[in-house]
Amino acid sequence: MNWVTAKRLFLLMLLIAVTLWVMRLTIPDASEPTSLESSRLRDVLAPVQKGLTWLSRQAHFAVTLPVNAYRSAERTQNLEQEMTRLESQLTRMNEYILENQRLAELLACKQVMEEEHSLITASVIARDPNNWFATLTINRGSRDGVRENVTVLTPQGLVGRVVSVSPSNCEVLLISDPRSGVGSLVQETRTPGIVEGTVGSSGMARMIHIPKNEILTEGQAVITSGLGSVFPKGIPVGTLGSIRDEPTGLFQSAEVKPYANLDKLEEVLIILNTFSETGAAPEGG
Amino acid sequence: MPFPILLLLLTGALLLQSTVLDYVAILGIKPDLVMLIVVLNGFLLGTREGAFLGYAAGMVEDLFAGSYIGLNALAKMAAGYLAGMAGLRLFRENTLVATGVAFFTTLAGSFINYLLLLYLKVEVLPFYAIVRVIIPVAVYTSLLTPLFFSRIFRFVKLKDREI
Repeated sequence: MNWVTAKRLFLLMLLIAVTLWVMRLTIPDASEPTSLESSRLRDVLAPVQKGLTWLSRQAHFAVTLPVNAYRSAERTQNLEQEMTRLESQLTRMNEYILENQRLAELLACKQVMEEEHSLITASVIARDPNNWFATLTINRGSRDGVRENVTVLTPQGLVGRVVSVSPSNCEVLLISDPRSGVGSLVQETRTPGIVEGTVGSSGMARMIHIPKNEILTEGQAVITSGLGSVFPKGIPVGTLGSIRDEPTGLFQSAEVKPYANLDKLEEVLIILNTFSETGAAPEGG
Repeated sequence: MPFPILLLLLTGALLLQSTVLDYVAILGIKPDLVMLIVVLNGFLLGTREGAFLGYAAGMVEDLFAGSYIGLNALAKMAAGYLAGMAGLRLFRENTLVATGVAFFTTLAGSFINYLLLLYLKVEVLPFYAIVRVIIPVAVYTSLLTPLFFSRIFRFVKLKDREI
């Protein structure tokens, strides 16, 4: 090896070592505020991303129009048949109206949840360019009262939590991201576990550390446990998929299919505050 | 290709990747345009240029994300270097060869990305990493090669003639 090659090799090694060191230094830490440079860069790029996202939606609509039109014709035919059938059911429906009144009382319980949280809506303006992670940029920031670690959800279920905030937008870590962990429990059996992401692009998560003696079945609902002080208790997370034993032999794990369609999110809700029984608003929902 | 133009191209690719490409994602996987530009340039220009461009492009991507600075830089540097090595040994004027090179170098780059994630203690199960990300990204990205290769090839050739 001559002197020039050795020198080049040394410089390359030095570059790799420095990069590995910087990588370690820049591991995101929830306890530290977002760096100003990063949030400024996001603020500058946000309008461009917003425009491109709008354009993509329009293009997607235009491209899928012929297919949708074809499907519509087929659907119209089916709907006409369906309408005839439904007319005969109308009488039976009147009976259901009475039943509905009783169910409405049960529904009032659900509405209590809305009284417990202060919510705002937000639109998705960009996604993580990477296939490994699952993060979103949404158009609400510290100006709207968004803080780090607040919960993000859709009417269907949990989406994730805010990990960094700039004045006009913020970044959301989805529950399918491998860095995400949500204290959860199986609704029916009250079995605790942690729902962690698998890999960003899969849109799936898995529930780990489930005690082995618990008998679970596919399709059971998973909700947040409220432990860990980040996510409020009782938010629907997803349903259990295939269940298998963990390699350690002490626990089992299960795939979780999130209720929220994480690949197709357009609008989300952010829980700014959760009001406790005393009326105080604890941090992070 | 002049560096400012490349940087502009890469920024454009990055913006597309965070917005438009979601609409062409298949099973949640979107192609890695930045990787494609890096490996095709590396393939045509050589190891040093490939590695340098990979490092610069990856760094732009990392700065855009604001965390794990250097993660994509190292992965793409390796991919660019490997593409450059392939360029020295293989016939460079064939789109099919370029597609194969794009597949294998993207595969290698994504695998290095995975190893670096492990180094950073971001745990991804090997099954999910290989089946849900590494292989699909390599396939999807390399399939886009015919769209870009001839343009980049023509540009590089034109530049050679000017020199």
